[in-house]
Amino acid sequence: MNALTTMWIVMCKELRDILRDRRTLVLTLVMGPLLFPAIMLGMGALTEKKLRTQSEKELEVPTIGLERAPNLVAFLATQGIRAVPAPEDLEQAIREQRVEVGMHIPEEFAADWRAGRPALVEVLVDTTQRDSAIPASRVQGALRAYGAQVGALRLLARGVDASVAQALNPGTRDVATDAARRGRVLAFILPYFMILTGFLGGMALVLDATAGERERQSLEPLLATPAARGAIVSGKIAAACILGLATLLLSLLALKSSALMATGITRQMDVSMLAIAKMLFVLLPILLVGTSLLTLLAASAKSLKEAQSHITWLMLLPMIPSLVLMANPVKTEAWQFAVPFLAQNQMLLRIIRAEAVSPREWAIYLGCSLGLALLLWGAAVLRYRQEKLAIST
Amino acid sequence: MIVARDLHKSFRTRTGTVQAVSGVGFEARDGQITGLLGPNGAGKTTTLRMLYTLMRPDRGQIEVDGIDPARDPMAVRRALGVLPDARGIYKRLTARENIAYFARLHGMSAARTAERIATLSAALDMDDILDRQTEGFSQGQRTKTAIARALVHDPRNVILDEPTNGLDVMTTRAMRQFLFRLRDEGRCVIFSSHIMQEVAALCDRIVIIAKGQVVASGTADELRAQTGEASLEDAFVKVIGSGEGLQA
Repeated sequence: MNALTTMWIVMCKELRDILRDRRTLVLTLVMGPLLFPAIMLGMGALTEKKLRTQSEKELEVPTIGLERAPNLVAFLATQGIRAVPAPEDLEQAIREQRVEVGMHIPEEFAADWRAGRPALVEVLVDTTQRDSAIPASRVQGALRAYGAQVGALRLLARGVDASVAQALNPGTRDVATDAARRGRVLAFILPYFMILTGFLGGMALVLDATAGERERQSLEPLLATPAARGAIVSGKIAAACILGLATLLLSLLALKSSALMATGITRQMDVSMLAIAKMLFVLLPILLVGTSLLTLLAASAKSLKEAQSHITWLMLLPMIPSLVLMANPVKTEAWQFAVPFLAQNQMLLRIIRAEAVSPREWAIYLGCSLGLALLLWGAAVLRYRQEKLAIST
Repeated sequence: MIVARDLHKSFRTRTGTVQAVSGVGFEARDGQITGLLGPNGAGKTTTLRMLYTLMRPDRGQIEVDGIDPARDPMAVRRALGVLPDARGIYKRLTARENIAYFARLHGMSAARTAERIATLSAALDMDDILDRQTEGFSQGQRTKTAIARALVHDPRNVILDEPTNGLDVMTTRAMRQFLFRLRDEGRCVIFSSHIMQEVAALCDRIVIIAKGQVVASGTADELRAQTGEASLEDAFVKVIGSGEGLQA
C-alpha cells in the first residue's frame, strides 16, 4: 500500500473523529468568523461615532478671563464652541479629564488688541490624553480663523490687499490611492487576525491527534500497523490543514459580509471574491507552517497539557511583525517577503490596499514560506520515526 | 513462529541507564500458546515491544516467520497481530469503525474487512456493541474492540500484552476460550502475564522472566521436573526467587 493511500485513510479518520466532536468543531469554526464582524463592525462604529460627536457636537470650553474678549467669544459661538466660565482649578480639571480642553485669555488681551499687537490666547490641553486631540484642534482652528479674519479686515482698513501678507499658500495633495486609504484603518489589526487564524486554525485537531492520541494510548497500536509513519503524520497534518482552511474561508467570508454591512471607512475595503481568493492563497503556506510546527511540538510534549501550554507563545508570534511595523514603519523591501509572519503581513497589506505584487516577490514569498513548511513537516516526520514517541507510559 | 535470541535493551533516563532486558531468548511455535510470566517490571512489555518492531533491540536477533524485523519491519508488522499494553481506542468512533480503520491501514478491501469483522465479532461475542460509539465502553468491551482491531488482518502470529488485565471473571474466561481458539487455528500465540494461574492454565510453553532475563522455560511438566516442585506455582516462585510482584 502506498504512502498516499495511508495518508488519505488517516486524514479521513481524523476528520471524521473531529466532526463528531461538535463542541470543539463549533468553537474552532465559528469563533473566529463571529469575532471578525464583531470587532470590525464594533471598532468601525465606535471610531466613527466618536469622530462625529467630537467634531460636530457643541463644544463647551471653560475659559479663564471670559469677559476680556466678548467678540472672540461671540465668534467661537458661531463655530459651535461655547466658552463658559472656568472652574477654580482648570489645569487640574483637565489633567483629571473632567474637562477636555480649556482656554486662557490673559489680562493684557484688551490692551494688546487695541494696540494692534498679537494678543495671546492660550489653549489648555493635556496632549497625553488621546481624547483631547480633536477638541483641541477644533479650538485652535477656530482661533486661527478668527485671527486671520480680523487681520485681513485690519489690512483692508489700511487700504492693503490681505493676500499680500500671505506669501505662501501651502497645500497638500494626498497621492494615496482610494483603496490604500480604505485599507489603512485595518492595516494593523486585520493581518494579525488572519495570520493567527491560518497559523493556529488546525490547532484543535493537531493537539487531539498527536499529544491527545498518545495520552489516550491509541498511538502504540497505530504504530504497530504496517502504515508508514511518515504517511501517518502527514495524514494528520493534512486533516488539520483542511480544518484550518475551512476556518480561514469562513473567517474571510465573515470579513466580506461585515465589510458590506459596515458603514463608513470599513465599508470601502477591497473584499471582492478575487481579493478573498488571493488572501486565502497567501495564507496557505502559514497554515502548513502552523500545523507542522504544532505537530512537531505536540509530538514532543509529554502530555496534552504540556502541548496546550505552547499555544500562549505561539499566539504572540504572529503579532511581532505587526508590533514592529507599528513602532517602526519601514519601506517594503524584498527581504521582508522571506521573513515568516512579516511576509504574510506585507502580502495581506498589499492585497487589502489593492496593490500589485511582483512575480519576484511572489517567488521569494512562496519559496521561503513553503521551504519553512517543508522543513517543519520533515522534522515532524522524523519525530514520528523516533522510538521514544510511541511509548506513552 | 517467532524466535528471539539473546535480546538486550536499555533506556537512558535522568537518573542513569536502566537495563530493561538483558538476555531474553525463546522460541514460540505455531499452534502453541507461549506465555511470558514474570513480576511487574521484569521486562515483559519491553521484550514484546521489540518483537512487534516498536523498539529496536540493542543486541540480539528476532525472527518472525523467518523475517528479521531489523531488515523488513513492514513485513513483520503484517505478519503480526498486536494487542499492546497501551490499548486505547478512538472514543468518538464506533467499535466497527475502530476495527475498520486498522483494516484499511493494513490495505484490506471493504468486502474482506466486513467479513473479518463479522467473524471476529461472533468469536468475541460483541455483536451488540459493534455499532455503538466506544465512549463509555466497559474495560471488557474496550479490550474486545482492541483485540478485534489487532486481529482484523488475520495474522499468523498474535502477541498480547496482559490481555486479561482489568477484566472481570466472565470476560477473562471468554478471553481464555478465545486464545485456545486462536491456537487451534494453528496460530503462534504469545501472551504475557503476571498471573501464575492463568499462565498455568493456558500455556503450552512457559517462559519465566525476572530482572530482564529468562530464568527458566519449558512446558509445565518440564518446569515441575526442573525445580522438583509438585505444584507449578511453587515452581514459579522457586525460579523467580520470590513471589513478589506475582499474582496467584
